[in-house]
Amino acid sequence: MEGVLEMHSTHRRRLILFIVVGAVLFYFSSRVGILRLYQGSTVSMYVIAIGSIILLTGYSGQISLGNGAFMAIGAYVAVLSQLYLDLPFVLTFFVAVIGAALAGLILGIAAARLTGPYLAGATLALAVALPSLANLFPVLGGEQGLGYDSGNAPTLFGEVARFKWLFWISSFTALITCLILQNILKSRYGRIWKSIRSNSVAAELTGIHASKSKVLAFMLSAGIAGLAGAVLTMSLGTVSPSAFPLSLSFALITGAVIAGISSLLPGSLVGAVVLVGMSQLVGTLTTRFEIGDVLAQNLKELIVSALLILAVVFTPNGPGEKIREMRDHRKHHSHGGHR
Amino acid sequence: MEKLISASLIGLSQGAIFALMALALVLVFRSTRVVNFAQAGQAMVSTYIGWEVVTRTENYWIALPAAALAGALLAAIIETFLMRPLAKRASHGAIAPVASIIASLGVLGVLHSGAAMIWTSEQKLFLSPVSVNGIEIGSTVYPFSQADILIISTVIIVMSTFAFFFQRTSLGLSLRAAAFQPEISRLAGVKVDRVRTIGWALSGAAGAIVGVLVTPGNYLSPFSLDILLVYGFVAAVIGGLESPQGAALGGLILGMSLSFTSIYVSSGLTFIVPFVVLLLILIVKPKGIFGGGSSRNA
Repeated sequence: MEGVLEMHSTHRRRLILFIVVGAVLFYFSSRVGILRLYQGSTVSMYVIAIGSIILLTGYSGQISLGNGAFMAIGAYVAVLSQLYLDLPFVLTFFVAVIGAALAGLILGIAAARLTGPYLAGATLALAVALPSLANLFPVLGGEQGLGYDSGNAPTLFGEVARFKWLFWISSFTALITCLILQNILKSRYGRIWKSIRSNSVAAELTGIHASKSKVLAFMLSAGIAGLAGAVLTMSLGTVSPSAFPLSLSFALITGAVIAGISSLLPGSLVGAVVLVGMSQLVGTLTTRFEIGDVLAQNLKELIVSALLILAVVFTPNGPGEKIREMRDHRKHHSHGGHR
Repeated sequence: MEKLISASLIGLSQGAIFALMALALVLVFRSTRVVNFAQAGQAMVSTYIGWEVVTRTENYWIALPAAALAGALLAAIIETFLMRPLAKRASHGAIAPVASIIASLGVLGVLHSGAAMIWTSEQKLFLSPVSVNGIEIGSTVYPFSQADILIISTVIIVMSTFAFFFQRTSLGLSLRAAAFQPEISRLAGVKVDRVRTIGWALSGAAGAIVGVLVTPGNYLSPFSLDILLVYGFVAAVIGGLESPQGAALGGLILGMSLSFTSIYVSSGLTFIVPFVVLLLILIVKPKGIFGGGSSRNA
């Protein structure tokens, strides 16, 4: 009984924290410029997308190079459901999650017995195959893609600038996603995934159905990636195959690794801010030092990739673990350093 | 009938390319349990070096070994300074099962952007030493050129050299031993680390040869070889990911299925076919045609 009460109180504390963060974001959205609002929307989109990687890789131990492809699926589902079913934008987000999760379920079942490199290769093939579908079926609008109308803020808020409205939607979506994800990861499922990741045979002996749980993780991850795709489409106002290059999938992995692959918060936020901040940094460098076009265009990818290598070599499980290690080391020494 | 011959010939030439790319992946995987997703980038950089040689000397036959050498060197550097330390540093925690994949993606990104900075993203023309026009027999022109013959014969030569090396030389034996049982090989006096670096170097050379073979007649750009990574991976998985013979057969199967679907069904399917073939093989025969009894949890 006590345990139940305790759990409820952590749930409630988490909920209150998220409401406070939401209120702070709402307050600041009226006090910053268009650029910051746009960057805020992009950060929110990345938080959701990186969250999908952290669930999959940080918890269930699988890796997907194709979460960009699931984002594309979500984005197209959202756009098509608005175009043909006339759904309001909130519902298009739901449909996007369901569509991408279904695609994830199908691939997940096919790949349930696969780990590591096999799943990585299968998802890579998906990421390469998917954009060409847009040219194969005219309904998807080919290279130009399709438009998406994110509508206007309800009149309740008075006149709301477009970018502020977009920021509200995306940051609110990111907050809710984080809240739900946090609860899932701290639940029985989170522990099940972790146990499969560290020793799948032992996990199965305790009665866990390893491949079913893996498929579930894959499906959830795909659904969340689909939501990120819908958010991206909403803030761009359009969807096209070029919005989901292979480098997007790689950038998501970088974002997830930088702050520790199993840290949802603050990990996904740090990763998202680094990715968006990098774009701005490179932009500033380019104008200040008058870097040539060729260098400038590739500088961001070079830095992001180099960062990925450095992170995985020097802080493989995130800086948090490194700091803990160093603290333990010091404690060990201050206790006389024997043994 | 013409269609059938054309499809088979194109399939043969494409299959040879996929087979060699698959071999490059297999060589690394069986010696270090890493699927090297940077392989496409390494092959691309080596091909640029071959392009530099060919534009300066106008001699393809110098460019081919030069690129292979560059590819071997690059791979050895990546293995020694990144992959080997990584295996020790990222051996625990959530990252452990996927660290090498993530690192190879980082390398791919660095090579992509680095090459784009050095050589720009503009497409470069790589001149072919032989005709790339279809061979004419009677009144029909087949989509099969002298360049395709060059591809097939070079791949056969390279793969038989590898086979001879692995089966008949003592270094080849150490390579196989280190891949099969690293701890026991170490006890038996095999310098496992050095042998692994050699495995990577051979793989880098194979990838470079793929690039220099496939690029003439096409254009070279920092991303032009990426798709071969997917094809090579699918071919390697068909063959079981550990077997060089499997890589050859897998390449042939994939090459044929691609050319037959694009000639008989639609050429718009080229990106979809490898994905479908991969899913089919993973469902029907997840250990591949030549796969052994070991599980896929590597």
